[in-house]
Amino acid sequence: MRTSDVRISRRKFLIASSAAALAAACGASTPAASSAPSSAATATTAATVAAKPLKIGQLLPFTKVYAELGNSMKRATDLYLKQKGNKLGGRAVAPPIYEDEANDPAVGAQKTQKFIEQDQVDVMMGIVATPIAYAVRNAIDSAKLVFIETNAGGNALTRTTNNCTPACKSKYIFRASFSSWQISNPIGTYFATKKGVKEAFTFVADYGFGTESQADFMNAFQAAGGKVTGSLKAPLGSADFLPFVTQLKAQPTKDIYSFFSGTDAINYIKAWNQLGMPAAGYKMNGAGFLTEQDVLKEVKDQANGAVTSLFWAVTLDNAENKAFVDAYQKEYNLLPDVFALQAWDGMTALDQALTATKGDTSNKDAFVAALEGVKFNSPRGAFEFDKDTHNVIQDMYIRQVAVQGGNAVNTIVDKVARVTDPGK
Amino acid sequence: MSPEVFVQQALNGISFGALLFILAAGLSLIFGMMDVVNLAHGAFYMLGAYVTLAIVQRTGQFYLALFVAPAVVGLLGLILEPLLLRRLRGRHLDQVLLTIGVSLVIADLLGLTFGREIHSIPLPAGLDRSTQIFGGDYPVYRLFVIGFSIALAGALAVIHRRTRLGALIRAGVDDAQMLDALGVDIDRLFSRTFASGAALAGLAGVIAAPVFGIFPGMDVDALIYSLIVVVVGGLGTLSGAVAGAGLVGPADTFGRVLFPQFALALIFAIMALVLLLRPTGLLGRVRIAR
Repeated sequence: MRTSDVRISRRKFLIASSAAALAAACGASTPAASSAPSSAATATTAATVAAKPLKIGQLLPFTKVYAELGNSMKRATDLYLKQKGNKLGGRAVAPPIYEDEANDPAVGAQKTQKFIEQDQVDVMMGIVATPIAYAVRNAIDSAKLVFIETNAGGNALTRTTNNCTPACKSKYIFRASFSSWQISNPIGTYFATKKGVKEAFTFVADYGFGTESQADFMNAFQAAGGKVTGSLKAPLGSADFLPFVTQLKAQPTKDIYSFFSGTDAINYIKAWNQLGMPAAGYKMNGAGFLTEQDVLKEVKDQANGAVTSLFWAVTLDNAENKAFVDAYQKEYNLLPDVFALQAWDGMTALDQALTATKGDTSNKDAFVAALEGVKFNSPRGAFEFDKDTHNVIQDMYIRQVAVQGGNAVNTIVDKVARVTDPGK
Repeated sequence: MSPEVFVQQALNGISFGALLFILAAGLSLIFGMMDVVNLAHGAFYMLGAYVTLAIVQRTGQFYLALFVAPAVVGLLGLILEPLLLRRLRGRHLDQVLLTIGVSLVIADLLGLTFGREIHSIPLPAGLDRSTQIFGGDYPVYRLFVIGFSIALAGALAVIHRRTRLGALIRAGVDDAQMLDALGVDIDRLFSRTFASGAALAGLAGVIAAPVFGIFPGMDVDALIYSLIVVVVGGLGTLSGAVAGAGLVGPADTFGRVLFPQFALALIFAIMALVLLLRPTGLLGRVRIAR
């Protein structure tokens, strides 16, 4: 009984699928069979493409250490589409295809191939980890797939580099997040000039982004007359920060520039307080991720006074930010983080570009030109892409942690306007 | 490195080693007795930490977690052993695969229940101060970890050498089949051993939670460290866990500070060297393949 059931259904399936294939073949051959002039045929194709729902491929981490970042970015993406009634620039949008980057360049490359060949997405977005972005850069470039980067900040992705190593800018790659130079360079200048710091010591996570941030800070700080007295690096994911903070305390320079995020930042800040660093006169400073909400809500007042730089803060006072934070909070009952903001801005940029092309993504040159022309007020301030590098041009905020109403928050103490990555 | 800094770093290393001992003791116990490389050990540690988080969030009582979390994890071990592991007794590779599966299930369930963001809990009341040691501030909690670990090692040694249960465990490690033939209920002994090992992992999770934080992925870090410790120290013996933790903890700490680029390579190099010179580990027993 069961076997024959299966056989019948399989036969039915074969009939149905061959019928479908036949129909598809006829459909496809119609424009070719018609004797319309070729320009009209192209117009038909463009119209068909614009009518088909837009396919967005989102490559984000949903497992391992960055899983929460991926979830945050997915929430912002879904919220944006919901607000726009699943339409961008007048074109219907299919539910985005989410794939897990799994914090592994090999997996990332494989998923990117899937987007290109199997899903044939119209635009790709996402990627949290810089090594993954570097690993898929060439595949995206040669497939002429438009890709909007919404996190990874490795400088090389939007720069001209020697032999394109480890990566380089591409006509098809836009970055709506930041370059690590944008975060680390302005604070170096700020330290030496406005804050009047003469000497600084650096302590960063020992991986690409950490060392890049350290170098960018150092160059800017030294160029403005500051002196870096020494440096220390901690392997990524060092559970125990006491040994490192012990070393920091054993040297005399009081101003420490650090690059850490997530658990590393939390463990670092706790060890910092356990060893009585504030009482001994040491000052914690660093790239903004050191004091983002995920960290502040766990360390509470222990990061009080820390000065960090980032292109956004949840407390930023402008209408767009208020609307974004309120909508996100209403939908998910949590505060958005910087990763949600980056995904949100990526979607806004895509939306604006599609509006300019009337929903068409088939003409790549026009699509790229439309993205290059994108300009809007983001929750972070004025947002536009650098036409040369395709990296975002944005304001950088110098923030200081303070306790307000029982909560530790980043207060804005200064702003560096229109920070543009040098591109090489 | 000045003498004061050296002393402080030595303390840091010893306190890290002390934690590693609590973590590795359970793994070593289970392996010695049951010949099972329990790769769910990291997940048990993680579960202990999350139970601590739940208790501290609700009641604010860290010390309560010190008893409840190992009990919860031990109970889980008591259920899992007869339910799953017993069916695969003697099939080592299958058991290893099974424990990997168990660890994935536990880690994902914890992620679903508590969310995948990172958490941390404050140091327990009374231990959240710093004290003066050789002219520098030193957190009291780290001293507590060292003291607690020494006390635990002492208690385990007494149980191992002086009690009937200890005698059974030692006999079981030597020849479980013979013990079975002598009329000892080996199934019960195995499930209790497994539960005790799991409870120790849970306890390590409690002790580590205020220092290292509570986050997805903590299970993998813990598992790797505990495997290194038991391989260096010698599988299946209590003194092996002490020796392994006592070597790996300080070596890792000094390695990270002095040559950060080679920190992880350093402890793997120690492991490789130990395996070359003493394949059974520093204080390992020569095992007869059965």
